[in-house]
Amino acid sequence: MIAEEQQDRAALYVLGRLDAEAIAAFERALEKDPHLRELVHEFREAAATLALAAPQTEPPATLKARLLHEIAGRAPESLQKGQPFAVSRWLPWAIAAALLIFCSLLLEDRQHLRRQLAEARNVDPLMRTKFVELNPANGAPANVRAMVAWEPDKQIGFIRIVGLPAAGSGKDYQLWAVDAEHKDPVSAGIVHVDQNGVAQMRFKPEVATRRVKAFALTLEREGGVPKAEGPILLLGNT
Amino acid sequence: MEETAQQAEDRQCIARIARGDAEAFGTLYDRLSRPLYSMAFKMLGDATEAEDVLQEVFLQIWRRAAKYDPAQSSVFSWAVLLTRSKLIDRLRARQRRLRLVAGSTEDEHIAAPSREASNVEDAADIINKNDEAARVRSVLGSLPAEQRQALEMAFFSDLTHHEIAEKLAQPLGTIKARIRRGLLRLRDGLGYRV
Repeated sequence: MIAEEQQDRAALYVLGRLDAEAIAAFERALEKDPHLRELVHEFREAAATLALAAPQTEPPATLKARLLHEIAGRAPESLQKGQPFAVSRWLPWAIAAALLIFCSLLLEDRQHLRRQLAEARNVDPLMRTKFVELNPANGAPANVRAMVAWEPDKQIGFIRIVGLPAAGSGKDYQLWAVDAEHKDPVSAGIVHVDQNGVAQMRFKPEVATRRVKAFALTLEREGGVPKAEGPILLLGNT
Repeated sequence: MEETAQQAEDRQCIARIARGDAEAFGTLYDRLSRPLYSMAFKMLGDATEAEDVLQEVFLQIWRRAAKYDPAQSSVFSWAVLLTRSKLIDRLRARQRRLRLVAGSTEDEHIAAPSREASNVEDAADIINKNDEAARVRSVLGSLPAEQRQALEMAFFSDLTHHEIAEKLAQPLGTIKARIRRGLLRLRDGLGYRV
């Protein structure tokens, strides 16, 4: 018989809700108790079925083909270890050796810092996010505050504006990404302001914008326009 | 727990994937992509982000198939919990981002575009008793409402059990007990007991 308190912990463990210290203690108990291991196994299976409680939706049809294309060029990790003479195995070492010979200590230190940054970016998506403040221009109220959070890798962003007056009849605010690879700004969608003058939305530019230099908000015809025509009211450089 | 035919098939698929078999990868994708994507979409509320997560998960399955341990869980559970972990990371990053943006616009009244766990679909949605998803919903539907709510919040959101207790204005011990009892009933209802 497993005590209720321990069953509570087993449930939270499976749901990933224990802190590091509690996990360590629980895993020590797991090692010693086969009944507890059984319960965790059962809880894991039961919890996973909750995925089926979400309304079932098909993923985009193109994803499978993209994944198959992507894996075509790479072997699973288990096979990479089993191919000692594969080019993919010795080439990085050769490069690393060359770097060791030619790099000064200063450069090595710099690379270390870069590596740490790259690792941090992998761990925390926030590190990959750019924050851009948009400032009022062309007669926009001076108290308008706007901030964009932009993830270039994912091509998604979030904008929040405070203090923006309603767009007016027959007009809409439209957000644009000014990108070095596109002649014209790329539309990132219509921005709707609520009665308190607050607008917030997630956005994705209509086409990929890999080198965004700025974000801008313009006042356009209702429903938006394919190419910016109206005055720029907010602007911020990345 | 006795392995079902489907679980055995999934396990064989994973073993083949670990040997670099792309066809097995395609088979496993066909089997798992729908529930994993559905869960991702429910938790994130954004089709593009859900697709990104699904892609990350399947690439990880391809790379790390050899790490799968059948003693720990079925392939389905392994994949679901792997996906959920990535989803929670995303939700937390989104919250941090939102806090920063909210802070910068000096508005205290910001509300996160929450995708907090909603109630499971109505009984009317349970049409086909042979369908696995319908069976899960049926068992969930039979749980006392407060257990179902606590369990769904713990599974589909990034809230800790402390935050769930606060949100539902219940003592922490009550929330823990509801989650435990909910899981036990789900386990018994689905026949996962050893």
